[in-house]
Amino acid sequence: MSVMLKAENLHHRVSTSEGPLTLLNDISLQLPTGQSLAITGASGSGKSTLLGLLAGLDRPTEGKIWLAGQEITAMDEEQRAALRARCVGFVFQTFQLLPGLTAQENVMLPSELRGERNAGKRAQEFLERVGLGHRLHHYPRQLSGGEQQRVAIARAFCSIANDSSTADNGILFADEPTGSLDAHNGEKVIDLLFKLNEETNTTLVLVTHEQRLAERCGAHLRMAAGEITTADIPDNYLGDQAEVSV
Amino acid sequence: MLPLKLLGRDWRGGELALIATALVLAVSCVTAIAHFSDRLTRAMYIQSQSFLAAERVVQSSKVVPQEWLSKADELGLEQAQTTVFASMLSAGDEFQFASVKAVTDDYPLVGHLEMRGNASDEPRTVQQGPAPGEVWLEARLLPLMDLQIGDQLQLGDGDFAITGILDHEPDRGASLFSMGARLMMHQSDLAETNILQPGSRVTYRYLFSGDDAALNSYFNWLKPQLTEHQRVIDLEEGQPRVARTLDRAESFLFLAASLAVLLASVAVGLAARRYSLRHANYVAVMKSLGAGKNKILGIYIGQMTALALIATAIGLAIGSLIQSQAVNLLEGFFPVAPPPSGIQPLWVGLATGVACVIGFAMPPLFRLAQTDPMQTLRQDWSNPDKREWLGLIPGPLSMLLLIWWLSGSLAITLALLAGLGLLIAGAAVVNRLLVRGRLASLGGSWRIALGSLQRRAGFNTLLIAAFGTGLLAMLAMFYARTALIDEWQMQLPENAPNHFLVNIAPYELDGVKQKVEGKNLEGTEFYPMVRGRLIAVNGTPVNERDQKDGSIRRELNLSWTDTVPADNKIVAGEWWSEDLNEGVSVEVEVAARLGLSLGDVLRFSIGGLETEATITSLRTLDWNSMRPNFFMLFAPGSLDTFPATYIQSFYLPPEDKLFVNELVKNFPSVSIIELDKILENIRETIGQVAIAVESVLALMLVAGVLVLVAGVRASIAERLQEAAVIRTLGGRRQLLIRSLMIEFGLLGVAAGLLASIGTEATLAVLTQRVFDMPFQFHPGLWVIGPLAGALLVGTAGTLACRSAVSQPPLKVLRELA
Repeated sequence: MSVMLKAENLHHRVSTSEGPLTLLNDISLQLPTGQSLAITGASGSGKSTLLGLLAGLDRPTEGKIWLAGQEITAMDEEQRAALRARCVGFVFQTFQLLPGLTAQENVMLPSELRGERNAGKRAQEFLERVGLGHRLHHYPRQLSGGEQQRVAIARAFCSIANDSSTADNGILFADEPTGSLDAHNGEKVIDLLFKLNEETNTTLVLVTHEQRLAERCGAHLRMAAGEITTADIPDNYLGDQAEVSV
Repeated sequence: MLPLKLLGRDWRGGELALIATALVLAVSCVTAIAHFSDRLTRAMYIQSQSFLAAERVVQSSKVVPQEWLSKADELGLEQAQTTVFASMLSAGDEFQFASVKAVTDDYPLVGHLEMRGNASDEPRTVQQGPAPGEVWLEARLLPLMDLQIGDQLQLGDGDFAITGILDHEPDRGASLFSMGARLMMHQSDLAETNILQPGSRVTYRYLFSGDDAALNSYFNWLKPQLTEHQRVIDLEEGQPRVARTLDRAESFLFLAASLAVLLASVAVGLAARRYSLRHANYVAVMKSLGAGKNKILGIYIGQMTALALIATAIGLAIGSLIQSQAVNLLEGFFPVAPPPSGIQPLWVGLATGVACVIGFAMPPLFRLAQTDPMQTLRQDWSNPDKREWLGLIPGPLSMLLLIWWLSGSLAITLALLAGLGLLIAGAAVVNRLLVRGRLASLGGSWRIALGSLQRRAGFNTLLIAAFGTGLLAMLAMFYARTALIDEWQMQLPENAPNHFLVNIAPYELDGVKQKVEGKNLEGTEFYPMVRGRLIAVNGTPVNERDQKDGSIRRELNLSWTDTVPADNKIVAGEWWSEDLNEGVSVEVEVAARLGLSLGDVLRFSIGGLETEATITSLRTLDWNSMRPNFFMLFAPGSLDTFPATYIQSFYLPPEDKLFVNELVKNFPSVSIIELDKILENIRETIGQVAIAVESVLALMLVAGVLVLVAGVRASIAERLQEAAVIRTLGGRRQLLIRSLMIEFGLLGVAAGLLASIGTEATLAVLTQRVFDMPFQFHPGLWVIGPLAGALLVGTAGTLACRSAVSQPPLKVLRELA
């Protein structure tokens, strides 16, 4: 089983008016392709910062990260963006749909940024897969919270599905995907997320407060004050090469 | 294609509408002003040239060499010729002195003649003078000589048929000494009259028109060959009053165009800033989806370029349409139909679009491309950037380059730069004072308003500066326009003297006085006048001092009076008193030219006799007063031994024009200089310029309002959200409306105060340096500025935010989410 994501000795510090602040302290982890990892912790524990670094949205102060076999910490911003365009999808807590675009246009956006031609058709396919085939031309403000998050999920999978109807070998980062939804809608969204994850053999990293959601993932890291405090890694899940080291 | 696609989608979302509107308005305002000013300037120049009946004129007291005219032919210049002299006309037993003007077929080259075939006809416009053998007379000559159209009259040895009444000739004002009523004849008939003999006092005028290059080339060739008998007259020399009006109007129009550009740019800048702030999360999302910085830049610059091209094209079209409609509407006011404008205004409009976009719309986009994609996880769109000030450089810089190009004046450009810098610094200071307000002791609406001001302290500095610029431009233009128009009207008040009586012999003085006063005419006093030449200063002959000054070469009108004439002011020395009853008072500018000072002894030659006088005072005088003015005024009694005549000027209403005939009949030796037609022409030109200035002011107001709208909209989203939250928490509508009015009102007062300071400073520079007028303090401005700021900004802000209080708060919050 190949490794999709690997981090070694990550440190991240920022400067503030009160002096330097350590956000992450010596984090290492490794995640095989097609598996799922949940990161939980209290607010301010550093989980979203870690998610951003692992996705290549920022660079750590120290340490190395490999994504899809490439060291993203050695890349400049443009190269990291190009890698994200190829194999990274995002689902955000507040959906982050562009209000001026319809559901279909929002889902098309990643494909259009890559310059693909059949973006509209593929977006429609993914929206149908998340059960929103009848809402293609609706704007975000015309959709409920649950529907908006389903559009965001369709966009995330469309983002990593390079010219095929599947997203094999891509990785999806989800930041509190149910944080803005009620329990019922949250449940539906999570079901959908895991269903698509399984169907497309995508690697999934999600940040959540919900214990129930974390338990559905293959691995679970708990964070506090920028450090990993505990890691639940079932033996039957990890295999020989995969590991999450603390 | 992606930028265009996104542009279309963004447009649907309404995000780009404001920036496009601001650009369209910017380009259309400036294009309209540039077109309008270009057409008016052309019209004014055509009309002004008609004062000369040509573009340039060579005036000579002798016939010029044929070679000069052949050279003009070679260069393809159009030519015409006039010959003006005074002569006696006769018809039967009636004799009358007249000013004769013989003209060639091509006269006038610019402008037109107006004549009537019958006394009862309406005057019609013609482009040619009388045919050979015919003459046209000024209307008042007919009753004076008991003549009718169709009768014959004699001029020298020639007999001529009267075929028309001459109502208007464009270059009537060419010589102030075109005394007597006009007779116009064909140049080819001159020889037949046998009037012109060697030594006759004749003014030959050679008229030239053509393209600028040919004219310049011709006059560069000609000027070195001119003798003291010849001079070249162009607009500046021929009609200095009109030339000065045009110069000032041009300065005003260019300045107004520059300020309109500045205002519109501020509007574009504010709209672009808001656009980039609202798009920060778009960019963060796109970046997290794999768009690199270059891709983002490509998308947004592509979008903005497409938007700018469309908006600029629409702006150019609207600007051209506005000006053509404006010219059509005002057509009746223009004495000369404004000719179509050239391509220059379109370039000005295009340059405005480019400068606005590059200077104001693009920098926020570069900053936008720097958006940190981590913001998608942090939920923070404020995107603080310590280098934000760098983005403020291209805007003012591009504006300065544009204004420099438009105004052609580095001084105006630097003054505006300094003004802008001071305004922003002032805005920062005023803003600091505003945010220092203590909240705890204030009532509800004041607390909300001041709290809101304190939260947006940084942006408010920008907003106060923007509102201040808008108000400053509007106030400065309003006051400058008022000052200009007032000054122009003061130059030529309605009842400015329009007739001069000269050569009044002492024995006729009482009779003339009686006649003029009997008619209840507004006139000046009667000044005695002797003709003399200045021959020495402190014993040194003047021809050894300065040969070039015309005041020395020609005979001067010397006068005396016991009171300082109206519009004269003593600037050095003393006026006559009991202790000081001899000497001469000299006009200050001629004194400066001749290097004269108090105490110098001047020697004059008057009719072959000589007299000396010591300079006892220096005077300024107003050449525009249309009153008799004198370089040299002597103490009463100093020139009693020399034969004098008298001069006076008075205003004669048009309906009393035949009074001139009465004077001529009763006092045949008195010469009457009629300036009424010239003054009427000048007044028309000034009126036309005033209309241009008023129209430009209206366009400036549009640009100013645009800045207000853009400024209010730039911060509206945050305010709407806050208002919705306060309402959700139970805040009443009235409380919110009051707090919005207070907040925007205070911003308006601050901006208005700064605008008042800026306007006063701007007017001080403008009036003294650009318009060449004295400085005047404007106390009203200090009230109007803050009041107008509070009213305009307060009303615009409250109206723009009214949806926050009129719509259900949930709806507002959902729309903003």
